[in-house]
Order: sequence, then structure tokens, then C-alpha cells
Amino acid sequence: MSSITLTSSDGIEMSVDRTTAERSVLIKNMLDDLGDSGDAVPLPNVNEAVLKKVIEWCEHHKNDPPSASDDDDNRRKTTDIDEWDQKFMQVDQEMLFEIILAANYLDIKALLDVGCKTVANMIKGKSPEEIRKTFNIQNDFTPEEEDQIRRENEWAEDR
Amino acid sequence: MEGEPMPDALISPTLQLQTNVSESPAPSLSPSSKLDEGYSDDTRSQADKDLGSDNGMALPNWVLALSEAGRAELAYSLLRSLRTSSIVAVVDRLNPRLHMDPVVKLPPEITFEIFSYLEPRTLLDATLASRSWRDRILDSGLWRFLYANEGWRTNLPAIRAFEEEQFEPVSPQTRKSRLRQPEPDLGEPRQKKRVPPTWLDSRSGKRQHSTVFGGPVPEPDDEGDHHMTDENDRTPDSFDDSDLSMPNSLSVPSSPLCPPLQSSLLLRYPNGNAQINWTHLYKQRRRLEANWHQGRYTNFQLPDPSYPDEAHSECVYAIQFEGNWLVSGSRDKTVRVWNLTTKRLRHAPLEGHAKSVLCLQFDPSPKEDIIISGSSDKTVIIWKFSTGEMIHQIEKAHADSVLNLKFDKRFLVTCSKDRSVKVWNRRDLLPNSDDYPQMSRGTGATYPSYIIDLKEVSPSMIEAGIANDQIKALKPYSLLMTVQGHAAAVNAMQIHGDDIVTASGDRMIKVWNIRTGACTKTLMGHEKGIACVEFDSRRIISGSNDNTVRVYDHASGAEVACLRAHSNLVRTLQAGFGDPPGADEILRQEAQAVENEFFAAQESGQGVDLGRREQRRRHGYRGNTNGSRDPRDITALGAKIPPGGGGSNWARIVSGSYDETIVIWHKDGDGKWTQAHQLRQHEAVTNAACDNLSQVARTTVAAQAQQLQAQQLQATQQGIQIMMANAHGPNAHGPNATPAQAGPANHHNQAQATPVLANATLPNPLPAHHHHHHVHPRRPAVVPHSTARVFKLQFDARKIICASVDPRIVGWDFANEDEEIIEACPFFQGL
Repeated sequence: MSSITLTSSDGIEMSVDRTTAERSVLIKNMLDDLGDSGDAVPLPNVNEAVLKKVIEWCEHHKNDPPSASDDDDNRRKTTDIDEWDQKFMQVDQEMLFEIILAANYLDIKALLDVGCKTVANMIKGKSPEEIRKTFNIQNDFTPEEEDQIRRENEWAEDR
Repeated sequence: MEGEPMPDALISPTLQLQTNVSESPAPSLSPSSKLDEGYSDDTRSQADKDLGSDNGMALPNWVLALSEAGRAELAYSLLRSLRTSSIVAVVDRLNPRLHMDPVVKLPPEITFEIFSYLEPRTLLDATLASRSWRDRILDSGLWRFLYANEGWRTNLPAIRAFEEEQFEPVSPQTRKSRLRQPEPDLGEPRQKKRVPPTWLDSRSGKRQHSTVFGGPVPEPDDEGDHHMTDENDRTPDSFDDSDLSMPNSLSVPSSPLCPPLQSSLLLRYPNGNAQINWTHLYKQRRRLEANWHQGRYTNFQLPDPSYPDEAHSECVYAIQFEGNWLVSGSRDKTVRVWNLTTKRLRHAPLEGHAKSVLCLQFDPSPKEDIIISGSSDKTVIIWKFSTGEMIHQIEKAHADSVLNLKFDKRFLVTCSKDRSVKVWNRRDLLPNSDDYPQMSRGTGATYPSYIIDLKEVSPSMIEAGIANDQIKALKPYSLLMTVQGHAAAVNAMQIHGDDIVTASGDRMIKVWNIRTGACTKTLMGHEKGIACVEFDSRRIISGSNDNTVRVYDHASGAEVACLRAHSNLVRTLQAGFGDPPGADEILRQEAQAVENEFFAAQESGQGVDLGRREQRRRHGYRGNTNGSRDPRDITALGAKIPPGGGGSNWARIVSGSYDETIVIWHKDGDGKWTQAHQLRQHEAVTNAACDNLSQVARTTVAAQAQQLQAQQLQATQQGIQIMMANAHGPNAHGPNATPAQAGPANHHNQAQATPVLANATLPNPLPAHHHHHHVHPRRPAVVPHSTARVFKLQFDARKIICASVDPRIVGWDFANEDEEIIEACPFFQGL
């Protein structure tokens, strides 16, 4: 099985199975365009720690069927996440956001989805105060503004 | 807020240490965490904000020289040397460091993805987290997605036309200065941002009032002024002096809310582009749907009560409306075209039929410009919509009354009391066309002798015949085929693609192929004749003389719901299931889940089976047929849609009956259909008249009405006695098993009760009085009312219009005089 080399933003080289690496559409396109020259593929936007996590995910999912077509994007979505992915995403918030950014940059849609679902689940069912606490957000509304917004949002409760 | 980031040497070790104290088990983080990287500027500014006053002391060089792992070990040892309370204090101080704001850390396209997984309700709560959250969440694109996922449809051509109309090229000459604002986001790192909506001052003097039913797009009216002058009148000033100089400011408590508290219909970009604000559309649609659910509406009637002479002189059997136009057909033999804005006739009644007009369809688009009507005189007439002139008459279209008809661009299909269905061409038709009939013998379809059997003549022969003029094109409205298959009158039909769906007095629904005439499906279930049918490609919905509305899965033919509320024949209905994008898959999964539960229940010996209801009832369980997913209520397997028929939470069925009521069906929390509201023609007439009166006149009218009510109550009680005397059959079904049924012939007398009010209209009705938001209470059953069997109804996103025994056509407008909803309505479509 052929393997390729990736270089992280902090200059660390990593050897990866080509099939695994090609979960990333960006890497796949680069390899398709450049041919397999044997040169390391530079990934200037992903550091070693994040890249390791991403590769770990790709490794686990390398035999997944290709992700469903784009009309997925228009439909109602569930936030269900399979067990392995849930565990995989049990990282600190910084790593979580870095994984999401890396998945976006590397164009790994399924990983991006899992990351976004994870964040969505952190928001679900929380009061504004709990959301602020979860993400260390400073409340920059005046009490009057909060009150106004609350009242303005009441339309969504009438049914 | 601190201006300068701290020097790396000072801040980073602190941060790194903090990270690793509580994150030491996460090996993934440690190797990469070099002193000077791994943090975007955004993150650091947040960290600064949180920890600016909370930094630890500077570390000695020997500590800085240690490896990550070494520092972690040191920190751990250090902490262990502390008392527990001190450890807790340190952890508390570190805690914010472990939490960071995704809206700061992630770009808008990714937060869009995240937010698209959440419910609108959750998202609105989350707007209270901070200004930047609110800004990011109230994104037009996000709410466009949410709108579509509710199963609501939009009138995209109207939106595009509106956006184009509002476009203002950017040039100092054409720009009007009053409402222009500097772009508040200028200099902010995020792109794809928009200026807060600024309503145009390009208001022309003319204002269209509350009567825009999908007509021309309304001019922006004083709505805009409201937005700019109420809560946000400080906006322009504060933008000028604050935000440009402090592009990254997170919190200037006095800065105005952006987007403003009140959304508006239009978003304007600095380049002059105008776009519809989906956040606003979502909100207005949601408020409109809430009006439907709460039964908040105003009434209107055709004709306007001030012009009673324009009304049909007898009952109205058929109506259809589209855009600003409604066409009606009556027992008085005429077809009438109404302007829904003025509530008046567009031109003189269309005369040509020799008997009652029973059915019609029209297309007002300039390309078609057509009305087709069918009558009990057995003919079909084609009219020019815009002028009312008769273009063509199909004499002897059927051997008996033409009960229903539908047309598309290719075909006209008619059905009749003579039990047949006929297909006619609408354009010149040659045998080499795809629309030419494909004969299929032995299916009940017959073809006129001039139809060529394409199986017997080779394509080259046909081409040759056409070339040398031996084969001539069939003229429009030639009979293509006659389909026999029903054993009784064919009461109703629909075309959907190449399917014709018919419903008959023989209690059956049949599906036919429009090209071959072959019957592809027969559905049974109704216990009496069927009066009306609807088909949306996934479900067939029908109303019957057995007083029920039933929903069938088109794919499997399974009955998935049977709705009982009417106490007489269900004559007319319309259904909107509001399927969101990707519905097929959702429906399939829901149906599968229900079957899995059924099998699980069966295996665990819960006594469920698919037998007849009567058998199952012996288990002592009272079944629910409104779309319950309880395994005990499942009567058929293999459906492609779940019980009830699936669709969005906003799905709606409206049914009209000979019991003189219109029922609005909505779904409850479990997806079961429930009767949400019951509407009555005579109430609508009374309200429509009242709405046109001044306050004084209304008081008078109310007094008169009370008097009448008292009088008629007496009459009613007598009526009840009569009915009891003749009691036959179950008459205690609905709340309105009232005497009205006892004397259906008296409607002309009783109907007089309301025209009296109608004629009392004062010369200058004051629009100022239009703010009364009547939530019309459901009235008790015993009130005087005219007999008004409902013959035909139609609804769209905003209103129901209904034709009945009463010559006056009435409507329920769920915009309920709310200006913001009315302004948004031209962009909505039904479900």
C-alpha cells in the first residue's frame, strides 16, 4: 500500500497511507494534480497535534462509503453522532475548534460535520447564561437590551 | 479592554501551563504547544480580555527552558504542594482559559454549519449570548435554510422581481442621503457582512393598503419608517463616530444593536444591491402560521358588501384563485372573474352555459390567458381570461353533467356523471408528438377512430404522412381517449405529471396514465361515495359521503389516516403537507421506524395485528385513526410514508362539508391530526360586513344581530322539535347537528339576515378602525345561520376562500390585518 508524507505547519513530517490521506479532498486533488512525486505535501495551516488527530480520524473512517451528495446540505439535520466519533471529539475546546478548522481547510466534509454537530450539541438546550459560561463569552448587552431582545423573540413561542 | 497583546515570553508560558494543568491527559496537545504559536490573534484577544487582570507572575528562565512535559510535571508537583482550597482557586482562575468562543474562533461559514443543526427556538435564545452571537445568528442565509426546512414555500419570482426593483446603482447622484449609513462592519475581519437593513426613502406617494393578495409587490410603506424611527433612531449617529475607529470592539455598551432590534424586509448592501431579508420572512411566516393555529383572522367577502348586485344570483359550485384573481362558477349559469384587491367583478359575468357551472380552472398568465369551465349542460367552454370572450365550446363533451375538469399545458381532462373520464389535447397534436395517445387495448380506454395506433404504423410512415399532408394535426380540444372504469359518477379528479387521479361515487379512487388511459392503481377504503380528491405525488387525500377525510400512501395504496369530524358529506378539501427538502428519505425512515415498533410490539406479545378494526377492538382498545404511531393503531405495512402521512409540523388539511362547516386540521405534537378550528360561512359574512363599518354602525349592527338571534333562537327550537320527530340515522356527530339540516330550503330567507348589514355600509369607512384584532370566538352551535353547504374551498399561505349554497363567496384572511405579515405575504406560497 502506497504511503505519502505530509508536513505540518510546525515542520513535522508524517507518513500516512494514501487512502487514509485521500479522505481529504484537498490532499486528494493535490496528489491528482501533482502526481505521486514522493515529495512531502505541505499543510501550512495545520499543526502537528491537530494533524495527528485528523489522521487518526481518517484512519478510522478510511473505508467509509463516500459521503452522501450535496443535496444533503438542504435537509433537516440530526445531531446524532456515532459512538467512536463522540469519543474522538472529547477534547478541549481549542483542539475541537482546531480540528473543525483543519477539516474545513483539508476539505473533509464528514469530519467537519461531526465537529459542527459536537459544537451544536454544546449549545442545545442551554440558556443564554449557560452558553456564555460554556464558551467564556462576556455578556455585552445592557439589561435593557436583553429585555428588549427577549420580548422581540417572543414571536417564536406563539403557536 | 487591553490594547496591546502581551509579549509572548510573558504571556504564553502562563497560558501553556494553564492548558496543561488540566489537560495533561490529552497527549495530543502537548507536543505542538510551542511557546509562540497555536493561537490565533482572535483567541489571544479573548484570552487577554479574560485574563488581563489575572495573569500569573513572570517565570524564571530555567522554567521556560524546560520542555512542555517538564513544565507540566513541575506544575503538577507545585499544585500538589498546595492545600485543596488553593488548588480550587487556581482551577477556578484557569477555567475561562479552557473555554473559548466559537463565534470568535470560527469563521461565519462554519458557524453557519453549526447553527444549521439547531432549532430556531434554540437559536433565538442563543442570540442573547452576546452581540457577536446575535449578529452571526440573525443571518439571512441561515434563516433561508431554516425557512425551507419548515416546509414553507416561497414565491421566488416575486422575490427576484422585488430585489431587482429595489436595486439602486451606487452613484452619488442617485443615492439619497437621508438613510445612508456608513457600513458599521467596515474594517471588521469578517467579510460577507452586510449593512443593517436600511429602508429606502424611495417611497412613492401611492400606498397599497392591506388588500394585496399576491398582487403587485407592495411599495415599501411606512413599515420602513417605523423601523428607522422607533427603537433605532439613534443608529446613524452612533455608527458614524464609534465603530469605524474601533473595528474590533466587542462591547461598546451604548452602541446600537446590529442588526437592529426590529428586522425589516429588505437588506441593502453598500454596492446598491438589495436582498430580501430571510430572517424577517421567517419571522413573518412563523407569525402567520401562528395565526392559523390560533384561529386569528379577519373576514372578507366577494363582492364587497357595498356592491351586492355583483354577487352570483344562486349558489356557487366552483372557485379558484391565483394571484389577484378569483374565478367562480354558479348555478346561475355564469362564470365571474373577481379582483381580490377591490373585491369586485373584473368584467361582466361570462354567459354561455345553459345550466349550472359545476367546475372550472383558469390560468391568468399572459401565455395562457384562459378559463375552462364545465357545466351540467354537458358542455365545456374555453374563455379568454382577460376579456371574458368565449373562444371555443366543446358541445356534448359528455353524455351527462361535467363534474370536474383539470388542464395543464398539454391536456384537458374532464370527468362526468356519465362515469367516464375524457382526455383532450390543448395544442395542435401530430402523431409524432410525445403527447399523442399510446393505445393500450383491454384497459377500459377507448379511442376515437381518427387516433392512429402507433404500434401498427411505423414511425417512418408517420413522418412521410405528415410530410405529404396525409396526416393532419389534431385541432386543439379534440378527444384523445375516453376512460371507463368507474361504476358510478366520477365526481373529482386531478392531474399530476402523467397521472390522472379520479374519485367516484363507486367508493373508489383510481390512478390512470394520461398517455395510455391504463388504470395503474385502485384505492379502496371509503364506505360511501367519494366527493373530492387531492394528490401531491406522495399521498392521495379524499373526502367522502361517509363523512371522513382519508389519506392514502400513493406508493403502497395503504390508508394512513382517516379523519372524522364532519357530520355530513365532505365535499371539498385541500391538503398541504409541507414536505421539507429531502422529504422522501425522512418519510421512508419515519415509516420504517413505525414498522419496527410494530414488529417489536408483536414479538413481545402485545396483541397487535393488522386485522380489521372491529376485531382489534375486541382487545378493548379504542383505536386512533388520525395518524397515531401506536403499534395498536397500525393497519397496514409497507407504506412509504408514516401514519398520518408525514410532512412538516405545519402541515394542514382544510375540508368543507355539507354539514356547513369548514374544518382546519393541524398536527399535534405527536404528528396526529387534530381538528384545530371550525369555520362557518355565515359568521364570515357577518364579520366581512362588520369590517367595513364604522364603530357606530357596528354597534347598531351588533344590536340588530342580537335581536335577530333572539328571534331565530325561537325558530331554531321549533326546528329542533321537527328534527327530533323525524330523527333518523345518527345526527349527534358534531357540535352542529343543528336544525339547519332540517330545513335546507330556507337559506334564502335566513340569508337576508346579513345583507341587511351589508347594505348599511357607511360612505367613508375609516381605516383607522381596522386595528381591532378580533380573535373570532368559536360560537356555540345554537346560533341562527343560513344554510350553507360548502361546495368548494381553496387556501394558500394567507387565506381560505370558500363557495357554498350562499351566493356570496367568503374568505378568512389569517394575516389578520398585521401590516408586517401583509407586507411579506406576496413572497409566501402555501405548503
